[in-house]
Amino acid sequence: MATNVDTHALDHHYHPPGLQHQFEDMGQQQESASIGMWVFLAQEIMFFGGLFTSYLVFRSKYPMAFAAGSNHLDVVMGALNTLVLIVSSLTMALAVYFAQKSNRNMQVIMIVLTMIFGATFLGVKAIEYTEKYNDGLVPFTGLNRRAKDDQHNRKSLEPESQHEQSLPSPNNPGHQPEAHGDYINPRGDFQWSDTSLVAIAQQGNFLTDWEKTGYFEDGEVSAARFQDKVRLFFWIYFAMTGLHALHMVIGLVLMAWLLWKAWRGTFSAEYYSPVEISGLYWHFVDIVWIFLFPLLYLLGRHFGGTH
Amino acid sequence: MQQNSWIPLFPEQASSFAWQVDALYFYILAVTLFFGVGCAVVIFFFAVKYREREKFGRGADIHGSMPLELTWTVIPFVIAMTMFVAGAYVFYNLYRPPADTMDVYVVGKQWMWKFQHGSGQREINELHVPVGRKIKLTMTTEDVLHDVFIPAFRTKADVVPGRYTYLWFEPTKPGKYHLFCAEYCGLNHSGMGGWVYVMEPRDFDNWLAGNVSGQTPVDAGRDLFENKLGCASCHQQSDQGRGPSLAGVFGKDVRLNGGQIVKADDEYIRNSILNPQGQIVERYQPIMPTFKGQVTEEQLVGLIAYIKSLGGNSTTGTTATGSTNNAAANSATNGIAAASGGVASTNTIAPRGDRGNTNSQGSNPNAPGNRSEPTNRQR
Amino acid sequence: MENVEVINITQKPKLNYLNNGDTVSSWLLTRDHKRIAILYLISVSFFFMVGGLFAAGIRLELLTPQSDLFESGTYNKIFTAHGIIMIFLFLIPSIPATLGNFFIPLMIGAKDLAFPRINLLSWYLYMAGAGIAVWALMQGGVDTGWTFYVPYSTTFSNTYVVATGLGAFIIGFSSILTGLNFIVTIHTMRAPGMTWFRMPLFVWSHYATSLIMILATPVIAITLLLLVLERVGRVGIFDPAIGGDPILFQHLFWFYSHPAVYIMVLPGMGVISELIANFSRKRIFGYEYVAFSSIAIAVIGFLVWGHHLFVSGQSIYAGLVFSFLTLVVAIPSAVKTFNWTATLYKGSISWDTPMIYALGFLGLFLIGGLTGLFLGAAGLDIHMSDTYFVVAHFHYIMVGGQVMAYLGGIHYYWSKMTGRMYSEFWSKIAAIVTFIGFNLLFFPQFILGYLGMPRRYASYPEEMQVLNILSSAGASILGVGFAMPVFYLIFSLFYGKKAPDNLWMLPGLEWRTESPPPTENFYETPIVTWEAYEFGEESGLDFEEARKREMATI
Repeated sequence: MATNVDTHALDHHYHPPGLQHQFEDMGQQQESASIGMWVFLAQEIMFFGGLFTSYLVFRSKYPMAFAAGSNHLDVVMGALNTLVLIVSSLTMALAVYFAQKSNRNMQVIMIVLTMIFGATFLGVKAIEYTEKYNDGLVPFTGLNRRAKDDQHNRKSLEPESQHEQSLPSPNNPGHQPEAHGDYINPRGDFQWSDTSLVAIAQQGNFLTDWEKTGYFEDGEVSAARFQDKVRLFFWIYFAMTGLHALHMVIGLVLMAWLLWKAWRGTFSAEYYSPVEISGLYWHFVDIVWIFLFPLLYLLGRHFGGTH
Repeated sequence: MQQNSWIPLFPEQASSFAWQVDALYFYILAVTLFFGVGCAVVIFFFAVKYREREKFGRGADIHGSMPLELTWTVIPFVIAMTMFVAGAYVFYNLYRPPADTMDVYVVGKQWMWKFQHGSGQREINELHVPVGRKIKLTMTTEDVLHDVFIPAFRTKADVVPGRYTYLWFEPTKPGKYHLFCAEYCGLNHSGMGGWVYVMEPRDFDNWLAGNVSGQTPVDAGRDLFENKLGCASCHQQSDQGRGPSLAGVFGKDVRLNGGQIVKADDEYIRNSILNPQGQIVERYQPIMPTFKGQVTEEQLVGLIAYIKSLGGNSTTGTTATGSTNNAAANSATNGIAAASGGVASTNTIAPRGDRGNTNSQGSNPNAPGNRSEPTNRQR
Repeated sequence: MENVEVINITQKPKLNYLNNGDTVSSWLLTRDHKRIAILYLISVSFFFMVGGLFAAGIRLELLTPQSDLFESGTYNKIFTAHGIIMIFLFLIPSIPATLGNFFIPLMIGAKDLAFPRINLLSWYLYMAGAGIAVWALMQGGVDTGWTFYVPYSTTFSNTYVVATGLGAFIIGFSSILTGLNFIVTIHTMRAPGMTWFRMPLFVWSHYATSLIMILATPVIAITLLLLVLERVGRVGIFDPAIGGDPILFQHLFWFYSHPAVYIMVLPGMGVISELIANFSRKRIFGYEYVAFSSIAIAVIGFLVWGHHLFVSGQSIYAGLVFSFLTLVVAIPSAVKTFNWTATLYKGSISWDTPMIYALGFLGLFLIGGLTGLFLGAAGLDIHMSDTYFVVAHFHYIMVGGQVMAYLGGIHYYWSKMTGRMYSEFWSKIAAIVTFIGFNLLFFPQFILGYLGMPRRYASYPEEMQVLNILSSAGASILGVGFAMPVFYLIFSLFYGKKAPDNLWMLPGLEWRTESPPPTENFYETPIVTWEAYEFGEESGLDFEEARKREMATI
């Protein structure tokens, strides 16, 4: 509480609870914790940076493949996740505020809400990943759903009339998602056969030099070679969102610890730095998503109409 | 290389821009010697002159001098910029091939170089070029990164899978110059070298036309075996190579994979060169590429003559000691393409197995299961 | 932690960080930065010796032009092991984790680093990563070169790339945490009166080093992860047949690995600043310039990675930009060298062993740094890239620079860390032997490089043999020079004379506490009112009296 004068600090041997032995006073400790977290976050940015760089490099080499992949991400779920995270950042900031105000009950509520939103994010991600698993879009052999039924091999290259509402399987565009079990995928391979964007780009003459050689074999569009590049997109998608989700999980663990401490009334106006730095971490995880979402889900997307 | 000096200091200058590189080198050397020796002398001088007079004496109370700092920041900066400009100029010259070049296509692979002239003439590990012509190499690799480095020409460039890289030079002096691979590429990186032969234009034309200067067949064969065709890289003295030793094999019985025994006569040798997959020696892998289209009849005669002339122990004769090497071949590293007639197969020459190291090829401790998938080039 | 000191001067040894708790767990679970530094000192020295053994293997093979000592595959594993161990397990942690950990708190008047438990975690991560790397080594090793270039490492090598990559990944986090600790400590834990510009330059260098550690290391971490994923999952990010780009790997790799060389050399420069100033008994000439040049090296060092890619197929325009920046980054190092030289002017120079190492550093770093200019000039680099010229260049800086600085620092601080004194006679001989051996080993390699001898070669043309023999001879002498300190330093631990607290009467805060220091570093928080390297009265030390005492003992 700020109202009482703290005479304890004058006593040479008094150590406020929570003061670690290497620090002179709480101010130094809190400042250190804060700077430490900022430095750590700077490092995290560089860590994600390598993936962002790879994304940039390949997107500029194979924009059509990336657009094709991007179109098959569920933008509704992505947007929902974005909203969820932004709100969770709000509740986190409020948790810090209430800790500063020594309001234990509100702190706890805010932290719980933050955790709920965080868990929601992960839940939505799980749904998205499952869809990818079902559609044969996980870029590792063996990690996709294997086919049950080998009589209905309906791989079609017809690109027209995508349904905007439901998520068409890339192997059977126009086919309803409920009948996933039809297509063959005995090894659980990554599968992609829709090369319509290439034709469009070819006509409009905006293929990059890399694309002009990379998608073609003997002068014809090669579905296999296009598939390779789309697979790259999905690989980067999984790597980036996966790494992000991992950080989210760590964030939830951090929140759990924070919740426990807050419940016990550890945090108050005198000592709220752990809440503050946990907040910093949480906001960082949020910001990474704010970058991921447009790059992965929105760029190259065509809303409504044909591809 | 060239001089018989006890310790050589410089490679020969054999290309039109080599002097530029050397000039740059000497300029930077002069500057660095000046500053380096200068500094070192001053340091030594101060260290001696200002040796303490009494223990725990005190040095002069000097903080610094901004003018001095500026001087020794600006002057080195200016000098560094001259080095940059000179370096950039030379870099530009070396890496921008002019328009009127004679083109040679180069393919590197573990662990050999294949050169093909525009006229169709092919070479392995050797490059014949005429003096005074601008030559441009268009290069790529079938597997990993390699690098073409010709010290006498003062130029090099990496070769990268999936794209072409370029090198150009204009040789100025006839002679024989080293060519090295200068990007680490695995087992036989040190052995992946060769020679560049710069010839007078007339000699070059002769060479292109296929004339061989008067050599005995055995000598011609030896030259092909050890240098031009790279046979020696697999068929070594001992049986530890990728291919069986050929010492003394002529005339003996050879046991093949599959159990049959054949006699190693002229016909056998000839078939082994033109259609090696047809008769693989027991316990060796079917990895020898075919040389059909790369050897003339005359050269075949030379090779057979040479192999006939080899004495010594032949362990591939009746008792195959069988090497435990390259054992489980290298479907691990590359798909083994059956050598199709007329085209050298694209598979990797299996690396020499480590003695006693059963973990060399074939079992990749890291990849889940063996890689049975074909290599990059073969999708 | 002791609250009560029991000092019985006649019988019990004084309580210091070394004898304050002697169980195994008091060492392995310590939070004392000094003990952690000693743990690092032992591990780092061990790995230096292992890396040195591999170097011996290389030089033995290269005595003859043929590849006749080892199988090619084995030789490739040997030079790879040498590189990985020396860089990741020795050079990067060497000075920061030993001398930095030990002395940064002491130099700024703090009780410990900001995060002692993270410091301990750092050591455990180092040991875990090193353990994995050693395990991979014993299983058969890696043969990709320490640079792990693709596609060889992803698709063609049949060695333990994944394990080694993961080991290096973990060690990277050790480095990051150390850097994080240093930055926070330097920002928040300076004693009253210890302003930024009163800090010893050793601290400035470590601050700059830490900046690089935290910003660059994560990039190699993600690169290694991508490498491992590519090798295991064959996705194609580096595979041109599937759309990937092998040069992307080189860019990502060198984006870290170039700043990494500054992680390796900046701490050494910090030590040298200490040695030169203290053994000339005057302040460093141009203190601010030296301090800022450390930061400048750290910043500009991030912009030059492409000079490793001049011949890789990178565009020539990119090459020109990187060449320019590379030549620019040479300037701050030059400024430092001139400032060190100027510090000697009108100094009162004592030729103790640490100073011998410092002078050796100056000479060798001069050569190493100047030869960098050759490589930065793009046109010349085409000829010299991937040859022994490059090998000689970086060994002059890493060994002639960093290792000399490390040894100088160890000798300088030996009395402070252990409370003992080593034999001055043997240490001077070792320094000279090292200097001679080093030059004989590496100077011929400049010539070999220009002649065209490529790196990583087990066999070479015959005409290059004489130079190679000279080089290998130098290696054996250098080996002796490096081995000697092991003996006389360990000997001193048991039989060396007890050292006074401030052996050389120096003004740094670390010298104002006992040798060895007590666990809490200072009995009372120091209050600093003097400049760095203050040899006058303002320092609060009575030099006059010390002088008289010394003269009286002669």
